[in-house]
Amino acid sequence: MVAVAQHPNIELVTLAEVTKVAGYIGNFDVTIKKKAKYVDWDLCTGCGTCWEKCPEKKLLDDFELGLGQTTAIRVAFPQAVPGKAYIDADHCRVLNDRKCGICEKLCPAEAIRFKDQDEYVTEQVGAIVMATGYDLFKWEEAYGEYGYGKYPDVISSLHFERIASAGGPTGGNIVRPSDGKVPEAVAFIKCVGSRDDTKGKSYCSRACCMYTAKHAFQVKDKLPDSESYVFYMDVRTAGKNYEEFYQRSLDAGAKYIRGRVSKIYPRGNKLVLKTEDTLLSMALEVEVDMVVLATAMVPSEGARDLARVIGFSTDKDGFFQEAHPKLQPVETFTAGVYLAGACQGPKDIPDTVAQASAAAVKVCGIFSKERLATEPLITEVDINKCSGCGFCVPVCPYKAITLEELPERGFTRLVADINSSLCQGCGACLPACRTTALNLKGFTNEQIVSEVDALCL
Amino acid sequence: MKKRVGVFVCECGTNISSVVNTVEVAEYAKSLPGVVFATNYKYMCSDPGQELIRKTIAEEGLEQVVVASCTPRMHGKTFYNATEKGGLNGYLCEMANIREQNSWVHPDKEEATAKAKDLVRMTVNKVLLNKPLEVQTIPVTKKALVIGGGIAGMQAALDIAEAGHKVILVEKEATIGGKMTQIDKTFPTMDCAA
Repeated sequence: MVAVAQHPNIELVTLAEVTKVAGYIGNFDVTIKKKAKYVDWDLCTGCGTCWEKCPEKKLLDDFELGLGQTTAIRVAFPQAVPGKAYIDADHCRVLNDRKCGICEKLCPAEAIRFKDQDEYVTEQVGAIVMATGYDLFKWEEAYGEYGYGKYPDVISSLHFERIASAGGPTGGNIVRPSDGKVPEAVAFIKCVGSRDDTKGKSYCSRACCMYTAKHAFQVKDKLPDSESYVFYMDVRTAGKNYEEFYQRSLDAGAKYIRGRVSKIYPRGNKLVLKTEDTLLSMALEVEVDMVVLATAMVPSEGARDLARVIGFSTDKDGFFQEAHPKLQPVETFTAGVYLAGACQGPKDIPDTVAQASAAAVKVCGIFSKERLATEPLITEVDINKCSGCGFCVPVCPYKAITLEELPERGFTRLVADINSSLCQGCGACLPACRTTALNLKGFTNEQIVSEVDALCL
Repeated sequence: MKKRVGVFVCECGTNISSVVNTVEVAEYAKSLPGVVFATNYKYMCSDPGQELIRKTIAEEGLEQVVVASCTPRMHGKTFYNATEKGGLNGYLCEMANIREQNSWVHPDKEEATAKAKDLVRMTVNKVLLNKPLEVQTIPVTKKALVIGGGIAGMQAALDIAEAGHKVILVEKEATIGGKMTQIDKTFPTMDCAA
C-alpha cells in the first residue's frame, strides 16, 4: 500500500469516483468527482489530535463492520494510506448545524475546512483498468433459516476476519460478538449464497473453501479446547498448496461434516444447528456458541452503473464481462478498457494479482506504441446526400456522430460528421439515415443488396 | 477493378468436410461469374494453406479472395494478412462462414452443401464490390486510469508505474487496500494481509 502511495508515477486519489468517461482507446477524457473531505490533506499530518478529541465517539465503525466504534473525524484504520483524517459528513456535529468545532480549534496544522465542497476534475488517459472488486452477498435478506441477521452470534466470514485480527476490535481474541465469551464450539457454514439457485447465486465464489479452512484452523490454533465444525457441500482446493492447507486444518482437529444446515435457532445461551451428515445419512443437531457464514462474492455496489458510464457490458450476475472467457480474459468489448480482480468474477488473491499484472501488460502494450491503428470498417458520410436531420446522432452507442456546419455557396448547412476513432462500425446509424447518406465501409448498402440478390434472384 | 476472384474452401479437418461436400462447393464456385480459381484444402489457416492463397494470387492474377471456412472472428485477421502477403489490399478478402453457421449446426449433408454454395455465391457477389481500405492511426496518451484501489488496482497501478508510465489510481474509500485491509491472515501461507 505504501509502495503505491510513494511511487513517483502514481497519483493517488481517494474518496473519489469516476463520473464520466468520453473518448476512445488512447484518448479517454475522464471526469473524477473528488468528494469533500473537510480536511486540507496538504496540511494534515495524521497526528490524531482531532479524532482523539472528537465528541462523537460512539459511531458504528464501517471498517470493523459494526463490531467497533469510531469518531466523526477519523482515518479508516491506523495503517490507512494515505494516513490523513477526513470528516464523516453524516455524523459531524458542525456539518449538521450543531455546536462543536473542537477539531478545528485543536488541529496543530490548522487543516480543518468545514466549507470544503465536492470537486470535479478532468483527466486525459490512454487506457483504463477496472478493479472495483466485490461485496459480500447480503445473506441477512435471503436466509430466514439462519435468522435474517437477528442473532448477533451468526456472523459473516469478514466479521470473523476482524475478530481474529490482532488489529481488530477484540485484539485478535476469538470471542462472541454478543457477550465477549470465548466460544466452546464454532460452526462454519460454506456456500451461503453461492451455488444456491433458489436463494443466492448459481456460481461458486472460489475463495470460501480456502478461507473457511483457514478460519477453522485459526479456531483450533488459538482455542485448542474449542470445537471447530465446518458444514460443506464440497471441498474445492484447486490451487498450489491449497489441498495441503486444507489437510493441515483437518490435522489441527477441524471437523468437516458434509451437509447443509437447514435451520439455526437459539437454545439458552447457545445456537442450535439442525443439519445432517450426508455421508452417514444421519440427521444431526449441533450446539455451538458462534456461527460463521462463508457468504458469496457479488459485484461491488455501483459496478453496473460504472460499466454503463464507461460503456462496456456486465454478465448475468453483474460482474464485468470479459471479451472472451478463455482467450481474452482481461479485455472488455470496449478497446482500451481492461479488467483486474473480482470485478470480473469471484477470485482469490493469487488469481487477482495475476490478472492485475496481465491487465497492466495490456496497458503497457498500448503505451509501447506512439500511434494506434484503427479498423477502417467504419461509417462514412456522403455529404451531398446528408440532409443534416441528425437522426443518426442519438442512435450511435459510441457518441461518434456530431452535426458540423458545412459552408456552401455563401451559406452553411449541417451535415453528419463521423469521428473515425470513436466509430466501431456497428452499423446502427445506417437504418436511421433517411437519405442513405451513411454507408458502412466494407458493408455498404450496395454490397449487402448484392449478397441478397445472389441468394434471391 | 478487374473481376478475378479466387475461392478457397476449407475442410477444417473434418469440422466442415464431414457435413459439407467441400469438393462439390469448390467445383460449383468455379461456375460463378467473376471466379477464375477455386479449390478446397484441409486447413486453410495452416501455414501451407496461407501459402496457397499467397501463391495463387500471384499465379492466377487474383484481384479478390473468398475464403469459405470459419467465422471471421476466428481467422479474419489470418486471411486478411495472407491476402496482403499476396500483394493485395487485405480488405479485398471476404470470408463465407460455412462452419459455425453451417456444418456445426446442420446435420443434413445435402442441405448443408447447398447452403454452403449459397453462402459462397453471396460472398463472391459481395467481394466484387469490395474496395481497398487503408488503416488509420490515432495518437496515444501514455497515462492510465485505474479504478479501485484494492489488491487488483494496486498491483495493476504498480506494474504500469514500474514500466515508466503515469497512473491515476481512483479509490472511492478514504484508504487504498480494499477488502484486504480487513483480512487477518491469508491462505495458504498464513502471512499478514496488510
